[in-house]
Amino acid sequence: MMIILFKTALLLSFGIFIVPKTWKYSLGLVLHIMVVVSTGTWAFESLVNGTQTIALGVATWSGPIELVIDSLSAFFMLIINLICFCGILYAGGYLKPYLPKKRSVFISLHLFSFLWLHGSMLMVTAMRDGIAFLLAWELMSLFSFVLVIFEAQKESTLKTGINYLLQMHLGFALIMISFLIAANETGGLGFKGVAMYFEQHRNAPLFLLFFAGFGIKAGFIPFHSWLPRAHPAAPSHVSGVMSGVMIKMGIYGIFRITSLIQNDLTTIGIVVLTIGIISGMMGVIMAIMQHDLKKLLAYHSIENIGIIGIGLGVGILGRSVGDDYLMLVGFAGALLHNLNHALFKSLLFFTAGNVFYATHTVNMDNLGGLIKKMRYTSAAFLIGALAISGIPPFNGFISEFLIYNGVLHHLPGAGFWMSLVGVAAILALVLIGGLCIYCFTKAFGMSFLGTRRMVDHQEAHEVTPMMLAPAAIIIGMILFIGLRSSFFGETVIQILQQLTGISSPAIMNDVVQSLTMVSNINLLLILLVGAIVGIRVWQQRQVAVRQGPTWGCGYTAGDFRHQYTPTSYAESLRQLVNPLIDYKRHYKSFAEKEIFPPPRTFHTESKDLIEEKTVLSWVHLIVKYLPKAGVAQSGLINHYLIYPLLFLVIIGLLTILNIL
Amino acid sequence: MLSLGLILVACIYFPGVIVKVKAFFSGRKGPGVLQPWYDIARLLKKGSVFSTSSSFIFQIGAPVYFSTVIIAGLFVPFEENAALFSFTGDFVLFAYMLGLGRFLIILSALDVSSGFEGMGANREAFYGMLIEPAFFILLGALAMFTGYTSFHDIFANLHYDNYFSVIIAVLAGYVLGQITLVETSRLPVDDPLTHLELTMVHEVMVLDHSGFDLGIIKTANNIKFVLFSTLSANCLIPQSLSLGIRIGIFLVLQVFFAAGIGWLESFRSRNKMAMNAQYILSVSAIAMILIFVVIIIKNRI
Repeated sequence: MMIILFKTALLLSFGIFIVPKTWKYSLGLVLHIMVVVSTGTWAFESLVNGTQTIALGVATWSGPIELVIDSLSAFFMLIINLICFCGILYAGGYLKPYLPKKRSVFISLHLFSFLWLHGSMLMVTAMRDGIAFLLAWELMSLFSFVLVIFEAQKESTLKTGINYLLQMHLGFALIMISFLIAANETGGLGFKGVAMYFEQHRNAPLFLLFFAGFGIKAGFIPFHSWLPRAHPAAPSHVSGVMSGVMIKMGIYGIFRITSLIQNDLTTIGIVVLTIGIISGMMGVIMAIMQHDLKKLLAYHSIENIGIIGIGLGVGILGRSVGDDYLMLVGFAGALLHNLNHALFKSLLFFTAGNVFYATHTVNMDNLGGLIKKMRYTSAAFLIGALAISGIPPFNGFISEFLIYNGVLHHLPGAGFWMSLVGVAAILALVLIGGLCIYCFTKAFGMSFLGTRRMVDHQEAHEVTPMMLAPAAIIIGMILFIGLRSSFFGETVIQILQQLTGISSPAIMNDVVQSLTMVSNINLLLILLVGAIVGIRVWQQRQVAVRQGPTWGCGYTAGDFRHQYTPTSYAESLRQLVNPLIDYKRHYKSFAEKEIFPPPRTFHTESKDLIEEKTVLSWVHLIVKYLPKAGVAQSGLINHYLIYPLLFLVIIGLLTILNIL
Repeated sequence: MLSLGLILVACIYFPGVIVKVKAFFSGRKGPGVLQPWYDIARLLKKGSVFSTSSSFIFQIGAPVYFSTVIIAGLFVPFEENAALFSFTGDFVLFAYMLGLGRFLIILSALDVSSGFEGMGANREAFYGMLIEPAFFILLGALAMFTGYTSFHDIFANLHYDNYFSVIIAVLAGYVLGQITLVETSRLPVDDPLTHLELTMVHEVMVLDHSGFDLGIIKTANNIKFVLFSTLSANCLIPQSLSLGIRIGIFLVLQVFFAAGIGWLESFRSRNKMAMNAQYILSVSAIAMILIFVVIIIKNRI
């Protein structure tokens, strides 16, 4: 029944191209709902009744394609469904201004790709066969590419899109090679083959190859350079879905592979943890330096992927030292953080989209004071900001708390090296938390608070309720996780127990107990805030309350230009982390005898040094030396005839010498 | 619940003692010990002036700040006497709870679009970020030392049974003391009495708060002070004594802490602003020493 619904939805998707322009969106929405209902049912069934296998009725040369939905797949499927549904809901409002401007076929292509991105991500989580998995993976990359270049009339967007496409294919190639290496040794192409390979060989090399391939999708440093480009270029509903769930497909892959590894656990754990720590720290430090709100959020995706990496890393190390508590709880934190990050990151991207919709800019230097014009958007962004900073009573805290708990629980019995590792993980999490507060007080404060920072700022207004609806759904979920965290903690630990085959009621009990306490305290906090606000309202009624200008410390002629700007807010941290970022300040200072100085501009920028050193330096080298190969392109036909001859001679020689 | 009672009792005289000691060292008689609380009571009854550029953030900022400190107070135990809340990893929630308060008070400062308050907000966010590692390293070290991961279990099992572990008591007390000074914005990081807005941290953030809001912010600050000094006292008071004597020592110790801060603020000048980052990071470094001391004591090398 559900399989028919699922297939019908995918088949009808071609109808988007046929129906009139005004109906396209409604059809897309209906199709998304069909996909959500069918796959959501499977996922629930799998969580309740155990692994579901559904024949898709299509075959590749390696056999019929089956959807195998175990609890891990089901968990990711539910995240995908929730966020993609919110995304398409949001697209309804966000795309409206584009409808008259864009040609019909582009709108169709966009909605079509959005549906297929949704569908292909679901398939990625459910495919076990190598060919089918890679096919779904490739579809996901291609459709997301189409979505990123929605505004392809801008050259920068197109360039970003091509950069994105290339990087995704590099990742694809690495994953394919990894699968092939395993298949070559064991004869099975797919996760079964990989599992067999891991039983017989050393694990670290193949794992790291997989990690690199999936890491490009996930955005681990140093494979992150597509994120800060692609997310700002894409429309907000696409960035929300890409950052919220698509990068999680990389994490899904890493989780899947992690569940298969058998040896080399210490090496793998240390590598994953180190990359996690670096991604987390550098992600948030780079985020603080940004002026562009969406770019800032994109760097935060890297940071959150880093937190997931920390959870994964300590989990693997827990397995390697035989501490079930550290393993289960570390993994649980990482897994739950997937859901949490999907929620608050899409919420933040949607609300940043609202800002763009209302003001046509996401440059924080130009924003400010939006809270008076866009009350609901600001409140939603604030909740997202608090949640992403891992602050109670919201959901981000829950997953970070789990990771902390795992590490802290391990510390008393840890050996020397594990003590250091544990302290490093805690230190990284704490610093990330503190830097997040720094970053999001900046993001929220500069965009929404104070007064506007540019004079020629267009009059902003609140967006339509339709664009706020997805935010409301997500906020509901965020609060639900914050206030009923034990339920989610229990669910992820159950999933992990099935995945790892280790079940321990004592660990479950301990986690549920502390999470229940956390949730109760969260509830108490909300009630207490409510009570104090109530008392305050009563007190304010008794006394004289008036409005006045901001206290200017004796200077009464202050105006909006005296406010802190994103650059000045980041300055104190900038001085501390200067060696890590390539900070440049563009300003021409006054000459000595300049009596009538012309207007001046001030501009700062910071570069991503890790990208510069690890990726771009190679690219520059290649770009420098590739033209030298142009010598061969002489334009003379007799030269060109020699090349095939040379080629044949070399092949002949290699064959004779038995090298080939 | 005993801890809550002790904290409340200490709150009554703690801010007053600081003022009194500072007055003594500057050759004045000074106001009564309860004067800070009379001031707060007066503030709570007063009317308010709100900046025209402020929004609902400004209205909820102070109540949230106050609430988070109150909730955090429910976590702090008195040695083996549990606090209201006690569970595995409770000090993580304790620190993040204070983080929520900091977040909202920073936003309230940015809400009024003042350059000065932006400065304070920026510094608060920066210093808050720098001091948090020290707290977690310290608690991590104590967790390693005692084998437990909640405030109550840690302080209930903090036995200094050999001479080496006295190092832990001293270091932990010192680190907590430093954390207290930074978290509550006192000298040498911040001078609450300075009259130059350019050099303030906490005080400049709340320049635009008045009446009720200012009252609860000041209350929260006083409570926060005692929360941290209670944690220090937990590290320092030996558990072998009887409960009555320990309560006595606790109350006297709080007077000493307050007097110490008054003394420090009378004789020390504030750090140069640019030096603060290094100063605060050094606290984390000292906390790291604690980790290594524990590793050595527990024979982990």
